Amino acid sequence: MSYFSYLLDASKWGGAGGTGQLLLQHLAYTGAAVLIGAVVAIPLGILIGHTGRGGFLVIGLSNAARAIPSIGLLVLVVLATSTGFGPTVLVLAVLALPAILTATAAGVSGADPDAVYAARALGMTGGQIVSKVEWPLAVPLTISGLRSATLQVVATATVAAFAAGGGLGQLLISGQRSRDYSQMFAGAVLIAGLAILLDLLIGVIGVLASRRVRPAGKTRTSAAAAPA
Amino acid sequence: MTIKRSLAALGLTITTLVLAACGGGGSTADPLGSSSAPPSGSAGGTPIVVGAANFTESQILAEVYAQALTAKGLTASTKPPIGSREVYIKALQDNSVQIVPEYTGNLLLFVDKSATATTQEELANALPTALQPDNLKIGKVSAAADQDVYVVTKEFSQQNNLTSLADLSKVSSNIVLGGPSELAQRAYGPQGLKGIYGATLKQFKPYDSPAVKTKDLLDGKIQMGEYFTTESAIADNGFVPLADPQSMILPQNIVPLMRGDVADNPQVTAALDPVQAALTTEELTALNKQVDVDKMDPDQVASAWLKSKGLA
Repeated sequence: MSYFSYLLDASKWGGAGGTGQLLLQHLAYTGAAVLIGAVVAIPLGILIGHTGRGGFLVIGLSNAARAIPSIGLLVLVVLATSTGFGPTVLVLAVLALPAILTATAAGVSGADPDAVYAARALGMTGGQIVSKVEWPLAVPLTISGLRSATLQVVATATVAAFAAGGGLGQLLISGQRSRDYSQMFAGAVLIAGLAILLDLLIGVIGVLASRRVRPAGKTRTSAAAAPA
Repeated sequence: MTIKRSLAALGLTITTLVLAACGGGGSTADPLGSSSAPPSGSAGGTPIVVGAANFTESQILAEVYAQALTAKGLTASTKPPIGSREVYIKALQDNSVQIVPEYTGNLLLFVDKSATATTQEELANALPTALQPDNLKIGKVSAAADQDVYVVTKEFSQQNNLTSLADLSKVSSNIVLGGPSELAQRAYGPQGLKGIYGATLKQFKPYDSPAVKTKDLLDGKIQMGEYFTTESAIADNGFVPLADPQSMILPQNIVPLMRGDVADNPQVTAALDPVQAALTTEELTALNKQVDVDKMDPDQVASAWLKSKGLA
């Protein structure tokens, strides 16, 4: 039996419960979870980074939440509410949150102090400093946070299958229970491939964003050309 | 103006160590066993060891058998759970155990892969011949069975007048079936429902967790679920098991599998036959629940049940 037989079997890709549908489900879980994570974590991260308050508590708590086993949390949430897209995405968003939050807060609070002082000296308000100086400087770091969050979520979205939510994890479970190892292999390969693909994609976006924030050579020379 | 930053990562690791205690502590042999005069003269004092497979129900049944034998004056004990069928059949053959609780359908398929028996009677008739080469014999077949079953909620059953798989085709286009993922490959799965009962389902949804499956069935996200007859979720939620008039699902009635010499001992049959007659699927379900849910010991559960039936 070839390990690739399931993956390359065109008849397994179509229809309800087919590989194609599972792949789309997996992407939908990942996209929605990272989006919700970003919508919550980015404003919170900016607030913490800008004010310098609450960082210990909020970031500590969200990082502690990483230690919660995802399968356990998922089954708990599902039994307390119901199965379906919403509860599953919620659990995955909990996983996406800490990476984005920590990165955003670190990016904002780590924005070049000289630039922040200059902005303040120019008479910018707090809001202007955030939107025109700190946040643009924090974008590359925030994107790297999104990148690691996506990587975690795309790998962990396999647990959706434990709550009858489909996704590529279904291939692992079904394959294991019916001893169809080519099916398990197909699931593993697709999840790994998806993770690499998404990671590269966001990596490229990150490089482009950091070029926009720091055009090549400009910040360095201006700093060097300012003797005391 | 320095912005103070305090970014700290708090790592929390919770390690939970679960120690699963070995269930099924051996019941002590009755010291009076050998003193009561055995009418046949054979095997009265020869200790009988009852083995069990590695799941709750088998361990309870092993305790029930051993204690019933002890109550009839034989020397009997149990062993810690042995494992899968492949292993405990070997244990019977090499005489390290003499009796093991079994299930008719799966036992027949194990010893005769080409068996065609489908009904309870056919299975009971086919088993003795199939077991003869191994010098094994079965005892009385109980009405109690632990087999796959399709269930619907009480409301769904009443609304659609559905109590049997024979009526399924009328409503099946609206039914999403939930079951373990391997059911999709089983002969009695969706393909069997279609081939034997002409019922084409709307969808089959694989479930890894029985608890999640029960939750979805109650929430109406699936309309039909596949369970084992001795799962307490069926009775606890008032699910209606659907009859299987075409015997699509192989019956799995409880039966003691014994070495030939032990099965020929009339004392043994006298002890086990009443147990097999008294056992029902509902009572077996209740016994499983006492061990799995209420965390009682299999030997206590077995002894209480035997007393309640006047068998010990």
